[in-house]
Amino acid sequence: MESRKKFLKNFLIGATSVPVIIAACKKDDITSTTSGTDTSTSTGSGSGSCSVTPSETAGPFPTITPSSLVRSDIRLDRSGVAFTINITIKNTNNNCSALSGAIVDIWHCDKDGYYSEYGGSGMQSIDYTSVHFLRGRQTTDSNGLVTFTSIFPGWYSGRATHIHVHVYNSAGTSLLITQIAFPEASDSAVATVNGSGGTAYGYTKGMTGYTYNASDNVFSDDTTSAEVATVTGSLSAGYVLAHTIYVNG
Amino acid sequence: MVMVRRLTLSERIMSKKITRFCYRKIIDASAQKVWDKYVFDSSYTELVMQFQFYNTENKYTTFGDLIWNVPAAEKLHFLVSASVTGYVQQLNEHIPDIMNNLGKSFLRFKGYRFEIINSDIKDKSKHVIAVNFFSEPVIWHDTIDSYLLVSLLSDETTAEETLTHLVQLQSFFSIYSLKDDIQ
Repeated sequence: MESRKKFLKNFLIGATSVPVIIAACKKDDITSTTSGTDTSTSTGSGSGSCSVTPSETAGPFPTITPSSLVRSDIRLDRSGVAFTINITIKNTNNNCSALSGAIVDIWHCDKDGYYSEYGGSGMQSIDYTSVHFLRGRQTTDSNGLVTFTSIFPGWYSGRATHIHVHVYNSAGTSLLITQIAFPEASDSAVATVNGSGGTAYGYTKGMTGYTYNASDNVFSDDTTSAEVATVTGSLSAGYVLAHTIYVNG
Repeated sequence: MVMVRRLTLSERIMSKKITRFCYRKIIDASAQKVWDKYVFDSSYTELVMQFQFYNTENKYTTFGDLIWNVPAAEKLHFLVSASVTGYVQQLNEHIPDIMNNLGKSFLRFKGYRFEIINSDIKDKSKHVIAVNFFSEPVIWHDTIDSYLLVSLLSDETTAEETLTHLVQLQSFFSIYSLKDDIQ
């Protein structure tokens, strides 16, 4: 014990080496910390160096909480033209009937073309790596439908307006990773939101330099427009997207 | 009972070091506490789901192999953290497990970082994660044997007396940052 104290004192001269000390003298407690039982902290080595057993009123019992990705309103702090996303999942392995219980992750960029969870690099200089806006997860209902409340996505150089979708079965096994394209005619939501009317909502890029679906490296092979959604609505009332995705459920 | 030398007012001002602690709480398949089990299960489920986004050819099963071969998968640390956010919030800023020498939880955290240490999408028993809790700033007054004598900025302090906590140095509990005086 005395030698251990001396050892500790020697070590403590360099105060920043503090964590090393205990690794040397409290090996038992490593397991007690990881196993996390209340009792094991006191059953370590039995020497005076062990931590005391916690002795206080128990806090609230933990409750099972879904991932924070599980949300229908994915806007968080993002503003823009109101946008409702309705995605229906159908199962090609069951006569294209609705697939209920499928887990659907979506993500898209904000009105300025920026993604959350990205940034600080050449593709996106603004750093949004520590935020989760415009990403969400829902589980399909008996009609195979999920609905998200969002803002109309902007665009960025090199890509047409799009929404990313990752579909899993109810067990979490990946079924399909895909993207949803938007109609882009002169009277389309994309043209309207990015036109002069959209500036009041913060969409300032216009359509100059926009990459249309035919030139988009993801959608250009979609000659039947199977990936293009139906989008209805107006700037003031907001837009509603409807799209069906077929998976091997 | 440890004798504590009372600091003079000038000493209190002159000798203060402000530290923030980091507690790296490691959770593996042997977790027993309810909170730990929930975090273990939730983070594993989320990892298995999001792993597939990077494992497009189904070549890898371990987290180590995936991030070695698909560097972009490093983002999984952050992406999977969404699965434990709700549990961390339930702690109401109280750092778990770390007690003062009276056996009471006393430290609050003002930030945390989730990390995946190891995992295997085919073997849940290989799943090991850590939640790093970064404490609020505390005043480090002295070191007594293997204990740090600290007081919280919120602790009652008069010119005559400062209320303190003794906290033991222990594995996975470290001094995260240090600065002189209160800014």
